[in-house]
Amino acid sequence: MISMDVQKRLMGADGPMELDIQLQLEQGQFATLYGPSGAGKTSTLRVLAGLMKPDKGHVTVYGEPWFDAQKNIHRPPGERGIGFVFQDYALFPHMTILQNLQFALGKGQNSDIVNRLMEITALEGLRDRKPPELSGGQQQRVALARALVQQPKLLLLDEPLAALDLETRLTLQDYLFELHREFGLTTLLISHDVGEIMKLSGLVFQLADGRIAKKGPPGDIFLPKRVSGKFQFTGEVLKIEREEVVYVLTIRIQNTVVKVVAGEAEVRSLQVGDKVLVASKAFNPILYKL
Amino acid sequence: MMDWQPLLLTFELATVTTAFLLLLGIPLAYWLSVTRSRVKPLVETLVSMPLVLPPTVLGFYFLIAFSPGNAFGHWLNDWLGLKLVFSFGGLVLASVIYSLPFMVHPIQSGLSGLPASLGEAAGLMGKSRFTILRKVLLPNIKTSLLTGIVLSFAHTVGEFGVVLMIGGNIPGKTRVASIAIYDEVEALNYGAANFYSIVLFLITFCILLLVYLVNGGYLKKFWR
Amino acid sequence: MNRLEGHISGIEVSGGMSLVTVRLTEQLSLRAIVIETPDTAPYLVHGRKIQLMFKETEVVIGTREDLPVSLQNSIKGLLQSVETGTLLSRLQIETEVGPISSVISSNSVERLGLRENSEVYAMVKLNEMMLSE
Repeated sequence: MISMDVQKRLMGADGPMELDIQLQLEQGQFATLYGPSGAGKTSTLRVLAGLMKPDKGHVTVYGEPWFDAQKNIHRPPGERGIGFVFQDYALFPHMTILQNLQFALGKGQNSDIVNRLMEITALEGLRDRKPPELSGGQQQRVALARALVQQPKLLLLDEPLAALDLETRLTLQDYLFELHREFGLTTLLISHDVGEIMKLSGLVFQLADGRIAKKGPPGDIFLPKRVSGKFQFTGEVLKIEREEVVYVLTIRIQNTVVKVVAGEAEVRSLQVGDKVLVASKAFNPILYKL
Repeated sequence: MMDWQPLLLTFELATVTTAFLLLLGIPLAYWLSVTRSRVKPLVETLVSMPLVLPPTVLGFYFLIAFSPGNAFGHWLNDWLGLKLVFSFGGLVLASVIYSLPFMVHPIQSGLSGLPASLGEAAGLMGKSRFTILRKVLLPNIKTSLLTGIVLSFAHTVGEFGVVLMIGGNIPGKTRVASIAIYDEVEALNYGAANFYSIVLFLITFCILLLVYLVNGGYLKKFWR
Repeated sequence: MNRLEGHISGIEVSGGMSLVTVRLTEQLSLRAIVIETPDTAPYLVHGRKIQLMFKETEVVIGTREDLPVSLQNSIKGLLQSVETGTLLSRLQIETEVGPISSVISSNSVERLGLRENSEVYAMVKLNEMMLSE
């Protein structure tokens, strides 16, 4: 169990801000930090990683104090056993992909893990290339693999997929989820993408002005109201077309594209790119065995 | 037959000075690029002073400080056996200080230009600061390092005032090319002055040209 | 989508399903079947304010009340407007519990002779009714 209760005065873009975060993570949980920029998401992650030292409070991980303001404990980042994926990937540009992963090995650590991670993230073909030659998605895969070389208990990701195109993002989400399960990780992700959060995360901390404004399962946070329909997905509106007296909306739900008929009243508040809840009664869908 | 000694001495001094500057400049530049200490502006100012001070000022104070007639110079002489006035060692020390900004500035700006996440990522892997500097940061500022090395070297080659003040004009010990040129001109020996001058001109021209070619990426295929 | 508001006046549970009766007025109650029970859905509470949602494409239009059909959810109203397309038409119906829209085939509009101010019954199967807090 990971527990933090920290306070820190930050200089934000709009003047000083008080970061005041209390959060708990269970082992094996996949949690997300969500909120507007400047709300303190990255700072929260950096405090957990030891890259930022809070003014007050404590961070305790599996019973061990990582930070305790009163006892003057501040464990250096390198001794926390954390996998961290930076927003800019932070790959070492002068090293090949293989060297990037090998550099991450701990002292005396068996290097089998490097091969295994390269295999899982399908990087073997790129092992001798250097990061600047790779696409964003490939770089992100390297960053993810590299963060796991020391087999950390805790994986922290600072908006890792934001800069990628849709298709790459979906593939990486799958990699991320697979790695989370395979390595029994406790994962804390920063994300703005509601679809992504719904797909990956079991718990959401919604931050605002340096505080946790809301927390709960993504369904409770993002679905405006609870609806009884058992056939529910969140999707993104790709296209809105008028067909006679109704509208046909093309909606992406994870990696499938579906069409939904809607009335004028619903369409009035919608535009392309909006996130929507697609719900139907469990009675409606028909099933075919494939 | 021309006397090559002043030229050889010049390049020996520049090489030794540059080597010391690398050893001193890298840690200093690294410290300046990461520190949030309050003395940082003070240190930065001191490093930059040689840029604005006339070299004679520096030379004058060195002369005073290292003179065996003075307590500090006496102590150096007695305890460390160092005689820094009118000696090659003194020239090296003065040159190191005089060329310090030319080594520190490029490296510092190179390091500051790297994303902070590079060092942080390596730090999270449990690497020591030394390892991070050596294996992650320095390999990514090769052009800055080259610039620092070459500028320090070239600046030391071109130095005159400091050398004149504390080195004097002892053939084979402190009589570097720039002094020799001055000397030959004083003696109306224009042929020799021209010889030293043209060699210095050509060599420094080539060195600087090489730097601009490399940093401009014109020699990319050879450099990598 | 149509949205009507009422209060839960009855919950019949069998296994994992519940038949929920929602009272809109003294005379008008509508029923919905959901795959939830009061144990799994906190909003299934007697007397709780709830919204009924159903799609306009699921609204069947009748011109008489006593038709021999299985549908029990029937709301009487006056046809406000008819917007006719080649295949489909949209009907706006004013009822005592609020406006309801229905999308049916243009052919049916013609066959039933529907026009403004016709008296109609809007009917919805109970498995098409969704509940929302």
